[in-house]
Amino acid sequence: MQAVRELYDDFIRTFGNVLFAVLLFIVWGLLTLVGVIIAQGKDPATYFDSYAAPLARLILRLDFNNIYHTPYYVGIIGLILLSLTVCTFKRVIPARLPPLRAVAIDKIPLHASFDVVGDPESIRDRMEAFFRARGWNVRKRELGGVEWTFADKHNWARRGVLVAHAGFVIIAAGTTIYWAKGFSGDEAIVTGQTVSVPHTQTSIRLDGFSYKIKPIVTKSGMVYQPIDYVSRVTATGSDGVARTATIRVNHPLDVDGVLYYQSSYGFAMRFRVTHDGVRVPALMNRDYLTGDEIDLPGTQRSIVVAQFVPTVDRLSGQPSADPRINDPAVFLQIFDSGQAAGAGLIPMKAAIDAGGGWRVTPERYLLVSGIQYTHDPGVSLVGIGAFVLLAGLMISFYLLPARLFVRVDPGPEGSRIGLAAMTVKGYDIFERQFNDLAAALGTKLIGDSRG
Amino acid sequence: MANAQMPLDEVLMIIALGAYVVGALALLVYFFSRSEWLRHLAIPLAIAGCAAQFGQLIARYEITHIWPLLNLYGSLSLFAAVAVLIFIIFAFRYDLWFAGGFVLGLSALFLAYAITWNEGSMPAVPSLQSYWAKIHVPLVVSSYAAFMVSFVISVMFLVKYYFERSLAKQGPHAPVTMRMDTPNIAAAAAAGNAGAQWLNTIPSLAQLDVLIYRIVAVGLPLLTLGIITGAMWAHESWGHYWQWDPKETAALFSWIVYAIYMHLHTRNAWRGVRSAWVSLIGFLSIMFCYFGVNLWISGLHSYKV
Ligand code: HEM
Repeated sequence: MQAVRELYDDFIRTFGNVLFAVLLFIVWGLLTLVGVIIAQGKDPATYFDSYAAPLARLILRLDFNNIYHTPYYVGIIGLILLSLTVCTFKRVIPARLPPLRAVAIDKIPLHASFDVVGDPESIRDRMEAFFRARGWNVRKRELGGVEWTFADKHNWARRGVLVAHAGFVIIAAGTTIYWAKGFSGDEAIVTGQTVSVPHTQTSIRLDGFSYKIKPIVTKSGMVYQPIDYVSRVTATGSDGVARTATIRVNHPLDVDGVLYYQSSYGFAMRFRVTHDGVRVPALMNRDYLTGDEIDLPGTQRSIVVAQFVPTVDRLSGQPSADPRINDPAVFLQIFDSGQAAGAGLIPMKAAIDAGGGWRVTPERYLLVSGIQYTHDPGVSLVGIGAFVLLAGLMISFYLLPARLFVRVDPGPEGSRIGLAAMTVKGYDIFERQFNDLAAALGTKLIGDSRG
Repeated sequence: MANAQMPLDEVLMIIALGAYVVGALALLVYFFSRSEWLRHLAIPLAIAGCAAQFGQLIARYEITHIWPLLNLYGSLSLFAAVAVLIFIIFAFRYDLWFAGGFVLGLSALFLAYAITWNEGSMPAVPSLQSYWAKIHVPLVVSSYAAFMVSFVISVMFLVKYYFERSLAKQGPHAPVTMRMDTPNIAAAAAAGNAGAQWLNTIPSLAQLDVLIYRIVAVGLPLLTLGIITGAMWAHESWGHYWQWDPKETAALFSWIVYAIYMHLHTRNAWRGVRSAWVSLIGFLSIMFCYFGVNLWISGLHSYKV
């Protein structure tokens, strides 16, 4: 029992320490930085291309290629939340909301004392009026036989830290809801095709896709600047009603609480495939996306659709940088038993001879729209949390809760005033104001008592 | 003939650059000489440069009808302008002119670098055609600007602190009594040490520490709001408010560094030299987020759809 108690005390002591929280923040920061520097979510070969083999192996072994979803990344945020909770109850609340108590005035760095004429009782009253007139909230207490006056400014703002911390917890709760109940994914839809979206009862048909690109002459040469991407779709949701809609960048479509976004575009190809002059419909009635293969039956050969080229440069016969469709062609690679056996940039309607009587002719291209979808039931909570966090930051940073401790004892001239100040942000930040205040108070009381 | 003339926005840019360079020189000499006329010369120059910069951004928008902040040229020039603006406000409020040579000098450097990125006018790619661009970019850039000013003060803090330490080690000067006192600098200044005399005229370490805190307290809420509006924009344009894109995560990293700063600053024993180092690291991380990610690491923020 004793051991459990000690363990519990150790836990509270450690997790309730701001420096421990700072240590957790440092680890969180470093892990985040790893994810900035190492490209995330790429296939393993990419890491072997970019880094020395041992380093690449280390990256993959430690899941640094997908760091934000690793148990230790999530774990460190969990530890921060735990530390935040312990700290809030063990440190923030006692430190920020302390009871009114007696202090040793001259032990506090910001202190002043002066003698004034008049009995302590009337001086206390005049002092109270002085503080109130300057916006201080005054309370009086008798503690250990001494009459204390306490004056507070921005006392409510002592809770700013609590608000900031609560904001962080709300954001964490919102993201957890997404992990538990949300989903997202993407679909490449070829013009005319219908896809049913996983996790939902929605189907989406791409009626048409268009894009607008503008050539612009800049100081360093010609740039093709995309201006617009638009998908015209027919979406059928859970009510079974088909509705037409457009999806463009920054203008998603909402179907049954799932949002559909324009995320990318590409091209699909149709080919005319003949063997000894005879058409092979099984290979022709298909849409081939970039990277797809045409396997020639009865042979070891395949043709890979390597790249769609919207415009071929007429002079050089090479792909041009112009992404608009003027003179389209497709880059095809021929493989035989897995070995490269030829390649060519083949214009539309021209044919490539794949050997053994096989000929492949690019017949037409179709636009493909990349649609991303997301369902995130936690998003509004995250939004609320973010603004609560921001409000907490502003309250904590821009308001300086300060408390004055004042006692008036009988003194040589009648009364001796002892005045000290504490703030939630140390003493230096309040030094100038304190000196001004003490000087004004002295002048007022001395002036008053003379008058 | 008209085509051969420099457009108004570029003229304003050159005026701002000139004002900052002369203003920086005047304030640097003021920093050492304390001749008041230099300060009186530099203040209007700083204000004029800043006004010319905002004028430049407006002129550019009027000429091209394209929101001018969406490339490095525009955003860097806003960065320099806001840094000078924040500096001017703080300088009037907290008598910060002693740091002006460095702030204006850095702003001039960033502005000169911005000019090298002037590619002429370009319409925005689809994902940038959003009203969020008009909110998010100024917020983020303003937070960077605030951090630049706090960086300058942090460097001054550290120089003063380590100068005091090195004097204390050399003896036979006064021992350091309080963490934030600089009795050795005061003694060396009285004995005619030029470095000590300069450092003796800038505010005390305690005051510098409070200044750093106050400026970070402007930058951190701006960065937080910048990240929030960025997330809202991402939600609208990419389908998720947080994609772990390198730019987002680099900004998160900077946010974490400044959150560390704020927490250290709540502790008496860690306030001062340690928190000044964290503020310095914070600005380096901001620079990495701003330039490192743009130039070396590609991601969604490199605006390829
Ligand atoms: C990302 C999450 C967090 C945020 C946004 C945050 C925010 C803040 C802010 C704004 C302040 C006020 C600073 C000032 O007034 O100068 C503060 C203070 C504080 N925070 Fe946090 N904090 C976070 C996490 C934590 C954690 C994990 C702990 C746990 C140890 C913690 C403990 C404290 C303490 C003890 C104070 C100072 C209270 C005082 O002594 O007055 N915070 N925090």
